[in-house]
Amino acid sequence: MADFIKNPVVDLLDRNPEPVFSGKDLSFSKDEKAQIMKWVSSYPSKEGAVMHGLWLAQEKFGFLPPEVIQLVADEIGMPYADTYGVATFYTQYFKEKKGDYVLDVCTCFSCQLCGGYDILHYLEDKLGIHKGETTADGMFTIQEAECLGACGSAPMLQVTNGPYVNHLTPEKIDALVDALRDGKMPEFESVTLPQDEDELGGNRRTDVSLTPTYGVCPVSETLS
Amino acid sequence: MPTITIDNQNYEFEGRPRLLQFCLDNGVDLPHFCYHPSMSAPANCRQCLVDVGMPQMNRETRESNLDDDGNPIIQFMPKLQTSCSMDMTDGMVVKTHCSSDAVVRAQKDTLEFLLINHPLDCPICDQAGHCPLQNQAYKHGPESSRFEFQKVHKPKHVDLGPNVVLDAERCINCTRCIRFTSEISKSNQLTIIERGVKNYPMTPPGIEFDDPYSMNVIDICPVGALTSKEHRFGARVWEMSKTASISTVGSKGSNCYYWVKDNQIMKVTPRTNMSVNEYWLSDEERLDCDRFNKNRPTGPTVENAEVSWEMAYKAASDCLTGIDGSRALFVGSAYATVEDNYLLTKLATAVGAPTPVYLAHVEEGHADGWLKTDDRAPNSQGCERLGLHAADVKELKARITGGEVDVLYVLEDDIVAAGVCTAKQLKKVKVILHHYHTTNQTLPAADVALPAAMAVETVGSFVNGDLRAQRLRPAKSIAGVNRTLSMEIGKCRADAHGTPFDKWYNESNLVNCQPGWVSIPEIASRLGHEMQYKGPRNIMAELAESDSGFTGATYEAMGEFGVSLEPIGVTA
Repeated sequence: MADFIKNPVVDLLDRNPEPVFSGKDLSFSKDEKAQIMKWVSSYPSKEGAVMHGLWLAQEKFGFLPPEVIQLVADEIGMPYADTYGVATFYTQYFKEKKGDYVLDVCTCFSCQLCGGYDILHYLEDKLGIHKGETTADGMFTIQEAECLGACGSAPMLQVTNGPYVNHLTPEKIDALVDALRDGKMPEFESVTLPQDEDELGGNRRTDVSLTPTYGVCPVSETLS
Repeated sequence: MPTITIDNQNYEFEGRPRLLQFCLDNGVDLPHFCYHPSMSAPANCRQCLVDVGMPQMNRETRESNLDDDGNPIIQFMPKLQTSCSMDMTDGMVVKTHCSSDAVVRAQKDTLEFLLINHPLDCPICDQAGHCPLQNQAYKHGPESSRFEFQKVHKPKHVDLGPNVVLDAERCINCTRCIRFTSEISKSNQLTIIERGVKNYPMTPPGIEFDDPYSMNVIDICPVGALTSKEHRFGARVWEMSKTASISTVGSKGSNCYYWVKDNQIMKVTPRTNMSVNEYWLSDEERLDCDRFNKNRPTGPTVENAEVSWEMAYKAASDCLTGIDGSRALFVGSAYATVEDNYLLTKLATAVGAPTPVYLAHVEEGHADGWLKTDDRAPNSQGCERLGLHAADVKELKARITGGEVDVLYVLEDDIVAAGVCTAKQLKKVKVILHHYHTTNQTLPAADVALPAAMAVETVGSFVNGDLRAQRLRPAKSIAGVNRTLSMEIGKCRADAHGTPFDKWYNESNLVNCQPGWVSIPEIASRLGHEMQYKGPRNIMAELAESDSGFTGATYEAMGEFGVSLEPIGVTA
């Protein structure tokens, strides 16, 4: 956001981009279609399935160029324009091609105070790219993100809309990048607040082991 | 009957009207941007906030709690409510900006937010002068902005489609245009893209905003974000006069306003008539301007030489004098008014000619079940009701080429362009022609050519395809007629307050033409048949009396919105 504040210019989007996918590549498999129809039928109106559909398409194609958004719209049976509006609203839907791993470094208030920008700049120096860019080998993209809702474990980052990496230090960044280069995604970790550990001997949430929400990484229920 | 109290005044209501619409209908001028009566209310502009309360009820007795004076205690909602999305209920108490300081403050603050990234380029904006944002900022807004930082810049002059240009900076994201394409025209071509301060309406990639009704979004846009490519920077709104009339590109007869500057039609906008076009106009009706301004004749001609009106009338009456009536052919026009066609039938009768025919201008497959019709002429029904019938082109052709016609009288139509015959084939025929344009292909063959006033220059009435008789009012004046003296013309600022010395006052572009209700009686009187009418109002009054097809269709009855006529079969 920092650059936008210095130079608040919104550019016109490319209104007639070259299609990236076409022909046979641009289609859903039978299973994927069935999955989308299942989502469609589980909402009062079919438009409810749009975010699921877009997410599935992003998992399949890696990102969402206009022709993929059109494909999702046709599959769900809702207007292309509305689907496009939804896709551009959420930054987690990638409208252009990104690296294999997208590192969303949080620089919102809590993370910023705890050194979020230091982490961001360390990562930029390490990978030799600026935020918003992708490494030449197409492996990493660094993005600056607004609050990801993990202020208690600041500074933190998120890997490709998936697991969070908490309490970041330069050493942790080094280890993370090495692991990702080897193809190992970080594990989901359930973090408690420091004051809770003091008060309640480790974890105030006694139901962590019982409630799946707390123990499972909130990834999408996609097919692949 | 349920009652509601708005600003300490009681109103009765029926059903469950929406609060904002009820207020507007009852003269409480609540400011609003995103609400439009024909569309859903997303309540996203937040401008129509009001304080809403209900009488406090005792839970046990189910009766209102009373205060010390015996009045019911009103429990107001904790936050202000958007009146556009608020359903009215019995006993509701509403405080608007007229009686509540909190509402005044809320409206002021909402406007301050809306104006944060608005460019304030009103001096060059087409919407200035009739801009809800501008008006409401003056009425309800803050004196100045406290936002002293750089505004967000968004794409400017983007061609959304063939007729609409977007200036995204001016947009306040009311989503009226998006709701129009999704709820009214159903083309679904627009959406709001991006989020937060970056959002603006746009077509998705690869889609052009080529909806045949796309230009309606220009009117419903409460700011100058969507402008007409055709009319952009054409004229400021206060320089133009605005005349309530009807559109003439098809037989729908959509109600519209003609906007005129310097005697030229600058733009056409819809006029609300819930029985005909509701709030909308098609793009073809809106772009119907150049026809009235370009290729207009400079005066009457005889044998293609320009003459005075006197000489032209004389020449026309000479053509009709001492003829064999059965060998004269009168062609009426579905472009001409009921009055003019009626006078033509009287003239035909006077010279002993058979009842006129008219040329149908039907384009199969043009209709879309909404405002576009197959019939591309505005008054076919009016002709039919007068006893004129659509001509069989082949039969007409055979008669003219077979030498059965000595005199051909064409009222405001183009018999050559319609494919009846060629100009050469008319050489031996005396042709009297009322024409609109110098491009009229019958003109070279015309012995007497009389420039005719078009629908925007004459007084008259049309009967649309749905049997609704509606009035035309002159939007622009014609040469030799003072525009304010001519009947029922729309006044602009120059008319109301100006003098000929004002710099905006302009007498250019006056077309030297005459309406049929002036020229036909002139010809008739030279033939010894006086037609005693003061004007089209009297002609129509006579028709409403004498012709069962026009019962009730007086000017007074037609008024602004027209009257429905009975189907001919029933009355005849």
